[in-house]
Amino acid sequence: MSAQIPNFIIIDDSRLDCFIAEKIIQNSGTYSSVKSYMEATVAYEAIKNGNIGDDSIITIIILDIQMPVMNGFQFVEAFEKLPKETQAKFAIFLFSSSINENDKNRLGNYPSIIRFYSKPISKDTVAQIIEQV
Amino acid sequence: MEKQEKIKILYVDDEINNLTGFKASFRMNYNIMIAVNATDAMQHLSAHPDIRVIFCDQRMPGKTGVQFFEEIRSRYPKPIRILLTGYTDIDSVIDSINLGNVFRYVKKPWADDDILGAINEANKFYVSNSLLAVKNEELQRAYDELDKFSYSVTHDMRGPLLSVLGAIEAAQHMDDISDIRKMLMMMKDSVRNLDDFIQSIHDYYNLNRGELEIKEIDFNELVEEQIKIFNFTYLTSDVTFNTNIIQKETFRGDILSVKLILNNLLSNAFKYQRKDNKNKTVDLNILVENGYAVIDVIDNGVGIAENYLGDIFNMFFRASTQEVGSGFGLYNVKAAVTKLNGKITVNSEINKGTHFKVLVQNK
Repeated sequence: MSAQIPNFIIIDDSRLDCFIAEKIIQNSGTYSSVKSYMEATVAYEAIKNGNIGDDSIITIIILDIQMPVMNGFQFVEAFEKLPKETQAKFAIFLFSSSINENDKNRLGNYPSIIRFYSKPISKDTVAQIIEQV
Repeated sequence: MEKQEKIKILYVDDEINNLTGFKASFRMNYNIMIAVNATDAMQHLSAHPDIRVIFCDQRMPGKTGVQFFEEIRSRYPKPIRILLTGYTDIDSVIDSINLGNVFRYVKKPWADDDILGAINEANKFYVSNSLLAVKNEELQRAYDELDKFSYSVTHDMRGPLLSVLGAIEAAQHMDDISDIRKMLMMMKDSVRNLDDFIQSIHDYYNLNRGELEIKEIDFNELVEEQIKIFNFTYLTSDVTFNTNIIQKETFRGDILSVKLILNNLLSNAFKYQRKDNKNKTVDLNILVENGYAVIDVIDNGVGIAENYLGDIFNMFFRASTQEVGSGFGLYNVKAAVTKLNGKITVNSEINKGTHFKVLVQNK
């Protein structure tokens, strides 16, 4: 794999959680760009319309599960219906403060979810994520 | 004597004499319906779902009483089934009782006391069965709610805490004081969110378990109090708050529920404003007359999409990401309105605003 430094987008309805993730990613130094979306629908539209996503650099999506209007799972469902070339530009990591058994069992149904992490995001988590892509 | 509706009893027998005799003996105390065959009996059963006891003769042409009971049992499980029979049929009766198709049997020819005793026992059984069914349903509902509740509570309480924890962690590596200040403000929101949530759980508990406490309510006073609360919370916001309170009569009601309704509706009206709107307004109109209090809370904020209007009173439902919310507020409002035997309606249009109307009866 090339030594290219990934882009990050954060999708979380909590302003604080977005801010923390941005800061931690920025502190890690291993990022090309980082951007937050508090509404999953807006992020989804931007991906669909090609406004985010890079052909040469992978974009890591830090995705919250519990969000109003469009939650993390609904986002993934919509994402997995996008063209394969579009999907290939992204790597999804799911984050939540708690997960019930039901949701845990659902994880396997979504091939695009690379891994689930418990909140809060830390610099170790970011390092692990970068190793996985 | 207190006038009470008579218990409905159905008697099925192919001998007309038996039917008329039965009816003559018991019609004073009970509402007796009679049927000469299974078809007639079915008609009564479908027309009167509240029939409590069915007597049926064992020996009828075409179908025995046991067969009849077997047939109706799944479709009409509630009425208590009693078989009338002579000793010669005793084997089939025993089988039937053991299979649960028959509650008991009365031997023919019957004595009035036997019938009265049987009705009495059957009625008691019917009543306790019905109560049990109601209790079971309540219990199932409570279980379902608890499941949903415990998951969401863990999530909604841990969420803000973990956010703060993450922020503290992130602050270790931040040098820019303005970034840290920005983050502190967000941490404050997070903590406030958690506190609101805990307050909502408290409200929820009070609404579901607490007794009504009927007191005289002075709406002017109540609104003054609310204004004080909102001046604290929304001091910096640029929302014009108009109140118009007309109280033409003394109003009695549960003050805690009324406060909860006002507080939640107003806090939503203040919160869900359009950021770019130059003339943000919240109107509170209260009119107390003719035994009712009508409360209108009107804002010109973000509005609620039509497809979400049906869900806004559901527990943990949130239609917007704009502000921190527990998904508990309107659920509690609805519960409070229901507790007061009132009504709540909502009109809303995206980017135009929202109008909640609450109608509460004077006690």
